[in-house]
Amino acid sequence: MNIFFLIILIFFSGAILSFIINRIAPKFSGITTFVTIAVVSFLFFTQVEINSITQFSLGGIQMQFGVNNYTYIFAILVLGLSLLASLFSIKYMQDNDRLGYFYSNFILSIAGMVGIIFSRDFISFFIFWEIMTWSSYLIVIYDGARSSRSGLKYMIFSAIGAYAMLTAIVSIKGSYGTFIISEAIENGAFNFTDHIYIPIMLLVGFAVKAALMPLHVWAPNAYSKSPMSFTAIFSGAMSKMGILGMGLVLASVYSHSTDENAFNVLILRQILGWLGGITAVMATIYALIQTDAKKLLAYSSVAQLGYIIVGLSTGTKLGVMAALFLAIIHAVFKGALFMVAGAVERQVGTTDMTKISGLIRKMPFTFFTALVSIIALAGIPPLGGFVGKWMLYEALITESNNYFLVIVIFFSSTAAFMYSYRFLFGLFLGQEEKEIEHVKEAPVTMIIPMVILALILIVTGVYPGILFEPIAQGMQYLGYSDVNWDMSVLVNVWGEESNMAYINLTIGVVFVVIFIFLTLKNLKGTRYVGTKDISTSGEIPTENENLTFQLDFFKPFQRAAAPLYKRSMDKIWNDLGNALEAIFDFTRRIYTGNGQTYALFVIIFLVILLIFKNTLFTN
Amino acid sequence: MEDLGLKIFGAILTTILGFTVGMTYGGIVRKLTARVQNRYGPPFYQNFLDLLKLQVKKTNIAHGFMGHMAPVWIIIAAVTVLLFIPILNGNLWFPNMSFHGDLIFLLYMMVFGSLGMALGAGQSGNPNSAIGVSRGLSQMVGFEIPFVLSLVALMIQYETTSVQELTQIQHETGVWNAISNPFAFLAALFASLGMFRYSPFDIVGAPAELASGPVSEFGGKYLGTMMSGGAIFAFIKLTLYVHLFLGGAGNPDNTGIIATLLGLGVLLIKTFTLYMVPVFYGWINPRYRTEQAIQYFWRWPTALGIIGVIWAVYS
Amino acid sequence: MINDKDSQKIVDYIQNFARKQSLFVMAYGTGCGAIEIPATMTSRYDAERFGIRGAATPRQADVLLITGYLATKTLKRVIRVYEQMQEPKYVIGFGSCTINGGMYFDSYNTINALEQYIPVDVYINGCMPRPESVISGFVKLQELIQQGKADNGKKYRENLEWYRTNQKKIIKNWKMPDYNW
Repeated sequence: MNIFFLIILIFFSGAILSFIINRIAPKFSGITTFVTIAVVSFLFFTQVEINSITQFSLGGIQMQFGVNNYTYIFAILVLGLSLLASLFSIKYMQDNDRLGYFYSNFILSIAGMVGIIFSRDFISFFIFWEIMTWSSYLIVIYDGARSSRSGLKYMIFSAIGAYAMLTAIVSIKGSYGTFIISEAIENGAFNFTDHIYIPIMLLVGFAVKAALMPLHVWAPNAYSKSPMSFTAIFSGAMSKMGILGMGLVLASVYSHSTDENAFNVLILRQILGWLGGITAVMATIYALIQTDAKKLLAYSSVAQLGYIIVGLSTGTKLGVMAALFLAIIHAVFKGALFMVAGAVERQVGTTDMTKISGLIRKMPFTFFTALVSIIALAGIPPLGGFVGKWMLYEALITESNNYFLVIVIFFSSTAAFMYSYRFLFGLFLGQEEKEIEHVKEAPVTMIIPMVILALILIVTGVYPGILFEPIAQGMQYLGYSDVNWDMSVLVNVWGEESNMAYINLTIGVVFVVIFIFLTLKNLKGTRYVGTKDISTSGEIPTENENLTFQLDFFKPFQRAAAPLYKRSMDKIWNDLGNALEAIFDFTRRIYTGNGQTYALFVIIFLVILLIFKNTLFTN
Repeated sequence: MEDLGLKIFGAILTTILGFTVGMTYGGIVRKLTARVQNRYGPPFYQNFLDLLKLQVKKTNIAHGFMGHMAPVWIIIAAVTVLLFIPILNGNLWFPNMSFHGDLIFLLYMMVFGSLGMALGAGQSGNPNSAIGVSRGLSQMVGFEIPFVLSLVALMIQYETTSVQELTQIQHETGVWNAISNPFAFLAALFASLGMFRYSPFDIVGAPAELASGPVSEFGGKYLGTMMSGGAIFAFIKLTLYVHLFLGGAGNPDNTGIIATLLGLGVLLIKTFTLYMVPVFYGWINPRYRTEQAIQYFWRWPTALGIIGVIWAVYS
Repeated sequence: MINDKDSQKIVDYIQNFARKQSLFVMAYGTGCGAIEIPATMTSRYDAERFGIRGAATPRQADVLLITGYLATKTLKRVIRVYEQMQEPKYVIGFGSCTINGGMYFDSYNTINALEQYIPVDVYINGCMPRPESVISGFVKLQELIQQGKADNGKKYRENLEWYRTNQKKIIKNWKMPDYNW
C-alpha cells in the first residue's frame, strides 16, 4: 500500500480506535493516541521519500499526494510537536470525561495537518483543511457551555476563511485549468498580474489560521479555552498551516513574478508587513494586561505569528528564512509554554496569576522549562529565539526599506519582555503562599516532553544550523537560489555576523566562573531564608497575609499607553455584528405576518410596474 | 594555543578596565554631586570601599536559586557585552569580538542582565522589588524606542550593523556620527537619560519610595556583585555611545604602548563628558512618575529619532 | 598562607578598614532624634565624607541607628530589623533615652536601656545630641571597627537566650519568627 494512504489510514483508524477504547478502558485512550502518532512519525521519517508523488483520481478529478522540501519543514514541526503533546496529554487529561471525543478529534486534527502537508492539489488541500478546522472546533467547545461562544467565534472566522479559499480554488480551476498547486504556481496564478483576487482570497483564508490582524479575534479565546495539551498543537502547529499557505503564495509572488518591484507586489509587501507589525504590537500590549496565564500566552501567540508574517512579507532570503525559523522555534517554545500552563493548571487547579505565586520550589522542572522558553520567546541570547529575531531585524534593516516597521517590531518585542516577566513572576516567583503548600511537581510523562522542548531550544541556540538545513532546502523549492547557511554563524547581506558558538562559549565560561565564585565565596555564611522573611519595615507578615504584587502589574504602562488600549479589533467586529443585526432586523420587519400588509406590497409592486411600464417592457 | 592565552589575558584585562573605570566614575559622580550640594563628599574611591565591605560581609542570605543567580546573570551580561564591543578601535590589546556579534546582538544581550536581576528580585517575594521591576520594564519600553530609532538611523546611513565598522568609518572620514546625523545622536542622548537611571528617571530604585526597589532584598556579596555588574554596564553604555557617535577612540594604524595609552585617555575623556549629561540633568530634576517617564521618551526623543531615520535615508 | 598569623593580620586590617570606611546606616527614626539625621547627612555636617550613607533596607545595612526613646511596640520592629541585618552589624544608641530612658525613664510604655534587648556598640549622649556629636559617635564606632572590637552580631547570637528572655518580658504577645542561622 502506498505510504501516504497508509499514514492517513492509520490516523483515521487511530481516531476511531481511541474513541472505542475509551468506552472499554478510558485510561488507554491517550496511550492509543500517542502510539498512533508515534507509529505515523516513525513511518514518515523512515519510509516517506521527499519529492515522491502519488497520483490518483477521485470522481474524475486528478489528485496528488507527495512531500516536498518545503512542506517537509512543517512535517517535522507538526509530527514532532504532536508526539510530545500527545505524551503530555495522557496524564494531563487523565481525570476528564469524554476522553474518546477529545482524543479522536485530537488525532483527526493532526491527520488534517499531515494531510495538508501531503496535498499537492487544492482539492485534497481544502478537504484536509476543513477536517483540521472542524476537529479543532470540536475540541475548542470540549468544555461545553463555558467555551461555546469562543467556539462560535472561531467557527465564523474559519468559515470566512474557508469560503474565501474555496472561491480562490474554483477561480484557479476556471482561469488556469488546474487543481495541482505547483502547476498553478508555474502558470502564474499568484503573480498579481491578472486575477489579483485569487492570491488575496487565498491569503485571507490562510490569514485566519495564522491569526493576522483583522481576522485574529478568535485566537485568544480559542487558544485559552481548549485543553492545554491541545493548545500546544493548536498554537504551535496548526497556526503554522496558515504560515505554510502564506509562504507558498508569497514566495511564488516574489520569486516567480517577472518584475519583483512591480507596484502591486510592493503594495502587498507593505500591507502584509504592516498588518503583521500591528498584529504584533496590539497583541503584545493586550498580552501584558492579562491576569490569566493561558490568555497571556494566547495573545503572545498572536503577536509571535505577527513577527513570522512580517518576516514572510519581506520576501527576501534572510526574511523568509527568519520567518520559517521563527515558525519552528515558536512551535517549540509556545508548545512548551502551553504545556507549562497545563502542568500548573493540573497541579494547582487554576492558571489565574492573581491567585498563585511562588511555585518555583514546588515545580522546579516546570520552572526550568518556563524559564528557557521565556528567554527564547523574548529573543534574548543565547537561545534559539534570538537567532530568529536577529535574522528578522537584519532582514528588515538591510534588505527591506521598511525602517519604521523595524521600530514597530522592536516596540512589540521590548514590550514582550514585560509579559514574559509577568508570566514567570505570576506563576513561579513571588511569595510562597500557604494555599499552594500541597502542590507537587507534575508527573514524569508531563515533564519529559516539556524538558525535551527546552533542550531543543538550548541546542538550536548553539547550532541553529540544524534547523537551517531543512529550511534552506525548503526555500530552494520555493524558488530562492543559493541559500547560504552555516552551523552556528548568522550572516546578513552586509556581511555582518553573529557567531552563536562564540557567544555561547563566552556566556558559558563567564557563567561557570562567576557562578562558582559566588557560590563558593562565604559558603558557610550564606543561608537560605523563606519568602516571608523580607524587609517590610520591621513588620512581621502573618501566615495568611498576601504580599505578592500581582494585580494591575503594569498599571503605569497602561496609563502611558492609554491611547493604544482604546481601540480593539474585538470591539470593531462586535460593532459590525450589531450593525448587521440592526439591518437584518429592519429587513425582518417587512414580514409583518399580516395579510393586509402583504396585499399592500403587491399593490405597490403593481403600481411601480405600471409606472415604469414603458421603460421596462420596450417591446 | 598562545593566541588563546593572549585572548583570555586580554579578556581579563578588558574586564578589569571596565570595572575600574565604571566604579571610579560612580565615585566621581558621588563626589561631584556632593560638591553641587555644597558638601565635601566622599573620596572618589568610596565605591571600591563599599564594594570591598560588601564582599567581606560575614553572612549573606538568598531567597532561593533565582535570587542566588541574579548577580551571576548581571555579570554574564556585563562581561559578554564588554567583550563584544570595541574598547579601542583596532587595538589588539583588547580582544574585542565585535566581529562575532553586531549591534542587534548587543541590544538584546544588554537585556539579559536586567531579566536575571528581575527574576532574582521576583523570587525574594518583596512587593517593593516587584513594583521596581514593573517600573523598570515599563521604562525600558520607553527609552528603547528612541535608542533603537537612532541605531537604525546609523545602520542604514552607513549600511553596516557592526560597531567596529561604524567606528572605522568615523575614523576614516574624520566626521563624527554625532555631526553627520545630529538628530539620531540627540535621540540617543535622550535615551541615555533613561538608561543611566539618574533623576528624573530613577523610578526603579526610587530611594525613599520603594526602598531601593529590585535590590531591596540583596545584601553582602550579592549586592556587591550587582554593583560591579552595574559599574561595568555604565562603562559599556558610555563606550558604546562613544564608538557609535563620538568618533570612537584609538588608532588602528598605530597600536604601540604610547598610542594605546593615548587612545585610552581619549576614551576616558569622551566617556566622562558623555556621562556628565545624565548626571547634570539629574541634579536639577525631581523624580517623574512612571507613566510620565515613559511618555517623556515617546514624545520629543522619538520624534527626533524619526527625523534621524529620515535624515539617514536621504543623505 | 591564610593561616599564617601576619598575613591574617594584614587581611584583617584591610577588611576592617573597608568596613569602617563604608557604613550603610539603617536610621530607625524612632522618637524625636530622627530630626537630627537630615542635618547630619546634608550640606552643613555632611556625614558622607566618612563613608556614611543611608541604606534602604536592613539587608544592605551595617549600622542600626536607634534615634531616641523606644516604645514597647516599636521594640518588636527594631528587633526584627536588627535580626534581618547581615553580620558584621553595629548598633548606635542615639540620645539619652536609649541609655537610661532619659526623660521617659518612668514611662509605662518605653524601655529604659536598649542594651538589655540588643547589643549596642556606641552610645551618643545628649538630649538631643547635635550633629557634631553624632559624627563623633560614628568616628568612635569606626575606631572600634578598626580595632576589631565591634562585632556584636556574634555576641547577640551567643547570648541569644538572655536577650530573648529580656525581650519577651517586654513583648507580651511574642510572635517573632525563629532566628535561623
